[in-house]
Amino acid sequence: MTGLIILSAFIAVIVVAFATVIQKRLPDAIILFMGVGLGSVVLFFVFQAPDVAMTEAVIGAGISALIFLMALKHFKEAR
Amino acid sequence: MNFKRDVSIRTYSGFALSSLLVLTILNIILQNIPDKVERAGEQLLELNAQEGVANAVTSVVAYFRGFDTLGEIAVLFVAALGIGMMLSSNCKAPHKEESNFILQKASKLLFPVIMLFGVYVMIYGHLSPGGGFQGGVIIASGMLLLLISDQNFEIPHSVISALETFAGISYVLIGLIGLLVMDRFLGNFLPHDISEMGMLLSGGIIPLVYIVVGIKVGSEMSLIVQNLIKRSEDD
Repeated sequence: MTGLIILSAFIAVIVVAFATVIQKRLPDAIILFMGVGLGSVVLFFVFQAPDVAMTEAVIGAGISALIFLMALKHFKEAR
Repeated sequence: MNFKRDVSIRTYSGFALSSLLVLTILNIILQNIPDKVERAGEQLLELNAQEGVANAVTSVVAYFRGFDTLGEIAVLFVAALGIGMMLSSNCKAPHKEESNFILQKASKLLFPVIMLFGVYVMIYGHLSPGGGFQGGVIIASGMLLLLISDQNFEIPHSVISALETFAGISYVLIGLIGLLVMDRFLGNFLPHDISEMGMLLSGGIIPLVYIVVGIKVGSEMSLIVQNLIKRSEDD
C-alpha cells in the first residue's frame, strides 16, 4: 500500500514536472510548478518527514510561486 | 505582451534522462524499504530522550544544531535585507484597484484560522511536527492573503523591526546565558526532566528558542512578501 502511494506520487510529480517544462506560457508553467510542490508534499509525508512536508506546502506551493509571478510582472514592465 | 517561449529538443531529452534517473533511484528505494529506512533514527532517539523533547527533529534543529539555526536565520535576514534594498525604493501611492469580492470576504474568514494554526505550530513545535520555521512561514502566508485581498493594508514597519530585533537579540541572549551557566553555547539551563516529556512546559530552553525563531522568520518573510507586492503595484 505504501509502495503504491509512493509510486503514484512519484509518477504524478514526474508528469506534472514534464508539463511544467513543455508548457509554452510562463504563468501557466508557474501554476504547474506549484503542482510539483504539492506532489512532493505527499512524498515527504510518506517518507516520514512531516516537518519538511509542512515547509514544502507553504514555501513550495505558496510563497515561491508568488515570488515567480511577481518577478514575471517586473520583467514584463521592464521590457 | 505574451510570454511564449520555444521548447527545444534538448529540453525534452534532458527531461527524459533526469526522469530515468529518478525512476532508478525510486527502484533502489522501493527494494530496500522494509529494513533500511526505519533503522535511521534509533541512536538519535536515544540521545533525544535526555532532553525531554518529544519531537526529535526539534531537538536536533533547536538544540544539537542550534548554532547552525542561528546562521540560517542570519541568512534569511540578509535575504530580506537585499530584497528590501532592491525593491522598496521610490515608492509611490498604490493603485486603488479593488480585488475580487470573493477573495476579500474569504480572506477575512480564513486569516484568523491561518494565524491560529501558525501560532499553534510554533508553540507546539517541541511536541508535534512543525516548529518555528514552519509556523513563521504559515503566518507569513496569512499576511500574504491579507496583502493581496486588501489594497490599503500594510504591515507597519516599526512593528516588524521591533519584533525582529527582539527575536534576534533574545536568541543570542539565550545562547550566551547557556554559555555562562552550562559552559557551552545554547546550553539547556532550564529544568528539563525526562518525566515531563510530552507536556507543554517541558524541554527547558528548546521551546523558547523555537518560538523566537518563529517570530524572526515570520516577520522577515512578511517583510519580503510585502516588499514584493507593494513594489509591483507601484509602477
